Amino acid sequence: MGREVAESCLDGVMIEMVSAYCTRFYATKPELAARRIEAIGYQVGHQLSERYTMERPRFTDHLEAIKFICKDFWSELFKKQIDNLKTNHRGTFVLQDNHFRWLTRISIDPTPESTEASSNDPSVTAENKASQTTNMHLCFPCGIIRGALSNLGIPCAVTADISNLPACSFVVRIKA
Amino acid sequence: MIVCVAVVGQQNNPLYLQSFTEAGDELKLHHIVHCSLDVIDERVNNPKKSWPTLNETFLGLLYPSENYKVYGYLTNTKVKFILVTIDMEVKDADMRNFFRRFHAAFVDAVSNPFHVPGKKITSRSFASRVSAIVKSFGSGTTA
Repeated sequence: MGREVAESCLDGVMIEMVSAYCTRFYATKPELAARRIEAIGYQVGHQLSERYTMERPRFTDHLEAIKFICKDFWSELFKKQIDNLKTNHRGTFVLQDNHFRWLTRISIDPTPESTEASSNDPSVTAENKASQTTNMHLCFPCGIIRGALSNLGIPCAVTADISNLPACSFVVRIKA
Repeated sequence: MIVCVAVVGQQNNPLYLQSFTEAGDELKLHHIVHCSLDVIDERVNNPKKSWPTLNETFLGLLYPSENYKVYGYLTNTKVKFILVTIDMEVKDADMRNFFRRFHAAFVDAVSNPFHVPGKKITSRSFASRVSAIVKSFGSGTTA
């Protein structure tokens, strides 16, 4: 029924999108690049949530909507569910994915380029740079979650944390 | 026969409104559509316990008037579909089927990357798909 696309193509598009925004369009302004990528994700999430909530009863509370994101929505996107969901019951939810698909192709360079002439401690800067790059790849899924929840009538802010590749967690803070 | 269909957004902003009559009573139909928004609000905010279909998207008959019957449908994303018909005998199953197909058409229309969320749907393919669904309504097709 639906048209299909190879997963490797999608991976390629994701990686290229992040690299294009970070190194070409907004090379000097990483903050702006992150916001742009997040905005693209927002629109995607907005549209997908409309499609994936067809034929299901309306949600009565926030938890139900978050559960939908963790189970059905995540399965549609990544063919797996969120591994762990934590909440403080006051509007903050932590969605943990132990094997996030879009991070599986990312590797951190084990040998930082210490030969390069830099006055500061080279390993620290390399690590910073690596984590900054990986964080850029999480802007898009953050936007997807925010877009989906906003469309379901839940305004929120979403941030991401990388603990140990390819695991990551998304923190959803619902605006009261 | 369906005389009017409408899509109303989250903030009760009109997204799409199309009447299918020759008689030039569009204004009246638009009025009916807007009145029914209040009925939807009332249903959703004060659900009666007696309704088994508490959070179902299909809201059923909103209100019957002398000449028209108004049906409603509320999606998970708080978008309302409203239908006005002059048929007095309508099967519930037909209605559900209609809204299901209408919802699919709507989802395809808003998934267009050039569609701006919250703005009116101007897509011609959506309009033609809607009129096809409206024409086939009640003729027993379930495709």
